[in-house]
Amino acid sequence: MSDASFLSLDKLSLAYGKTIAVKELDLDIRKGELLALLGPSGCGKTTTMRAIAGLMTPVSGRITLDGADITRVPANRRNIGLVFQSYALFPHLTVFENVAFGLKLQGIGGDELTRRVDAGLKSVGLTAFSGRKTPDLSGGQQQRVALARSMVMQPKVLMLDEPLSNLDARLRLEMRTELQRMQKETGVTMIFVTHDQVEALALADRIVVMRDGAIEQIGTPEEIYNNPVSSFVADFVGFENLFAIRNGKLVAAGGIELDPAGPLPDAAGLAWRPRAIALGAGPFTGTVRGVSFAGGTREYLLESGFGTVKAEADVSVPGYPLNAEVAFDMPISAAAPLHRFG
Amino acid sequence: MTQRLYAPIILLLVMIFLIGPFFIIVAASFSAGDTLAFPPQGFSLKWIAKVFTVESFRQSFAVSMFLAIGGTLTALLLGIPASYAMSRYKLPLSETVRFLVSTPIIVPGIIVGLALLRYFVIPVGLSITLALFLAHTALVLPYAVRVVSASLANLRSDMEEAAVLLGSSRLGAFFRVVLPNIRGGILAAFILGFVTSFNQVPVSLFLSGPGVRTLPIDMLGYMEIVFDPSVAALSALLAFLSIGIVFAAERFLGFSRYV
Amino acid sequence: MFQNRTEALALALPAAVFAALVFVVPVVLLLSEGFKSADQWTLSAYVDFFSQSLNRTVFLRTLKLGALVTLAAAVIGYATAYAIVSLPPGAKGKMIGLVVLPLMISPVARTYAWIVILGRTGIVNQALMAVGLTDEPFRILFTETAVFIGLLQLFLPLMVISLISALENLPRDAVPAARVLGANWFQVFWKVILPLTREGLVVGGTLVFTGSMTAYITPAILGGSKVLMLETLLYQQVTVANNFVSASVIAFILIVMSFAANILLKRIATARNRT
Repeated sequence: MSDASFLSLDKLSLAYGKTIAVKELDLDIRKGELLALLGPSGCGKTTTMRAIAGLMTPVSGRITLDGADITRVPANRRNIGLVFQSYALFPHLTVFENVAFGLKLQGIGGDELTRRVDAGLKSVGLTAFSGRKTPDLSGGQQQRVALARSMVMQPKVLMLDEPLSNLDARLRLEMRTELQRMQKETGVTMIFVTHDQVEALALADRIVVMRDGAIEQIGTPEEIYNNPVSSFVADFVGFENLFAIRNGKLVAAGGIELDPAGPLPDAAGLAWRPRAIALGAGPFTGTVRGVSFAGGTREYLLESGFGTVKAEADVSVPGYPLNAEVAFDMPISAAAPLHRFG
Repeated sequence: MTQRLYAPIILLLVMIFLIGPFFIIVAASFSAGDTLAFPPQGFSLKWIAKVFTVESFRQSFAVSMFLAIGGTLTALLLGIPASYAMSRYKLPLSETVRFLVSTPIIVPGIIVGLALLRYFVIPVGLSITLALFLAHTALVLPYAVRVVSASLANLRSDMEEAAVLLGSSRLGAFFRVVLPNIRGGILAAFILGFVTSFNQVPVSLFLSGPGVRTLPIDMLGYMEIVFDPSVAALSALLAFLSIGIVFAAERFLGFSRYV
Repeated sequence: MFQNRTEALALALPAAVFAALVFVVPVVLLLSEGFKSADQWTLSAYVDFFSQSLNRTVFLRTLKLGALVTLAAAVIGYATAYAIVSLPPGAKGKMIGLVVLPLMISPVARTYAWIVILGRTGIVNQALMAVGLTDEPFRILFTETAVFIGLLQLFLPLMVISLISALENLPRDAVPAARVLGANWFQVFWKVILPLTREGLVVGGTLVFTGSMTAYITPAILGGSKVLMLETLLYQQVTVANNFVSASVIAFILIVMSFAANILLKRIATARNRT
């Protein structure tokens, strides 16, 4: 085993009854990294997480953790932590008892129990809430209890299901920093599942984009953000103008072909973010069908001969009114080349 | 004007109809006379005292208590795991199981009692007590499953998974996490089952033998022979017992949330 | 959702097997007796049963009382439930408690009270004679009227409770909106309340109808041998005539009628919905 494959999924296939959820997934997770499983609902990310935790038995394939095959190891002996989206706290127990739950099962008691639970509560800033029943806590506090409950077990891997989705914007930022801090301090391998690209980009060391039970792309946030390999990933991370390349021509979503403004790279398609569309001059023209003010920029919906184009321009540049005819360019150099389309 | 009076008048009449007879029973049981009558002739506690001296009442009360407590506990013992399987597992034939455990509520009780008499008591020699016990358990089973299932449905299932991931076995997770959180539902099921079993008549009609009969059956039999206020007194006592239990349960548990 | 089938079966089987052995098998055996004669499948027991005029009378009386009690419970139930849901929350809770209360009291006790009320020297007759309406006491006890009153009192709470939960789910402004549009109270009930609460009516109706048809205590105490219903007839067939085949026939009729009532009420409810 190397640190590069601390946790390995080897041709892992998962199914609910006869419905295949994940097919022959290969994935190596490094020790101490913060990995995001990103994808829309139904892509298999949660199923993969549950299989790693042992809450579901694979149809085929292997899972190895720290050099040991854990495919058939029951969930209660894997030492993998999971913070549920609902937090899944035990409502009949106090905050202290919730955090002590797993330690007690290991036979830890007395001073050591108190010491470790207190340390866990301290690390999430909930020392003062030790005696409270969990239903009395706010959502953010409940999540911290769930986090402490998993972390006091010193798990080999900590997984989090949509960790930020139930929090409001302010708490979200706070929790994001806290998770990163905790991960750096303890060095725990962390995997979190999310459908929110912003969350994944902000938090993860590495992102695995999943689609239909398979991996679409693996990369750092920068790689995913700047160099999506496919139209699916590009669409997911905000490239709103997607064109396939066929016979030396660009093909818009509606199937209309257009001549490119320059030589095309060797790729299956091209993608532009709204920001990459240059307004004011260029070979194409469009009619402004929508303008919306977005703080530092204005966003435009342009109706062109080949379909709708989304563009964005600084507010410092004079804006265009509705129904204005605007010339624009889609510079090849500003586009992300896609290796797979559709 | 007419609308403002509508609710009080309707409710007063309906409540007199529903609850009035109960007060008449209570009043009649304090009568000093020897026959059942209202208004009661004089005031005495002799009929209430007599209830406690009638040997067959004491015996049948014990039988009914045994059936109501034992039968309901057994029904819970069977019903809780079944409810758990139906709510948390991919249960094969789950519709069949659901149907089986809920049929006793659909089929008239008298038929169950008769069927047990015909196929278990007469040919196999099953004792009346055991037959009564089986019948009452079966009768209460649907209530146990329904109430427990309802409280399980209100409990998120990822709690058990969380317990398992913290090192608990699945069985351990049930006892450590599920059971403490459905205690109220179980107690509600117990009370509902107890009252249902205790007041049940049709199922026990055919299942009575020497010295073994339930209290309501015994009361029916007594009424046919003696027409004194002791049955009224006993009815009143039992009613207060039931009401007391339900009130206590409502007060301390919020019983009605579960039923 | 746990996947382990063996565990699931181990948990569910005891209850299922228990219900099957103690309940389903004996009942099915009992019912099958009515279709057999000398090891031949036949309907002769049913032909025999219905060829006797007493049995036909009892059958029709049971149906009639079941239907009448259900109808009366529906009418009184709507009036009561509507009055209760329009109360302020605190009073509403107490009223619901009072409606449920009788359900906790032994049916023997509840039925027994009617003897005191309806008997020859009961309250009703005393009152009638006191005001001079009659010199002789009316015979009310051991008539269909007495059984009807007893059954209605026994099962009305079930209808009221079903209708209360249906009325509670009524869209808040449905009735005022209909009134504003010019509907009178009768139209409001027929066009708005009834269609929107029909599921509660079906649930309550099924409970009351099957309850009334399969009640034993009420016809036994208030009807006696003069007003036999199917359940009391069944009891007689076994204890007096030792006739298990006839009992099986009655049992089957009771079960079929219970199911039929449920299906029929559902039909009626959906039919009204379509118009």
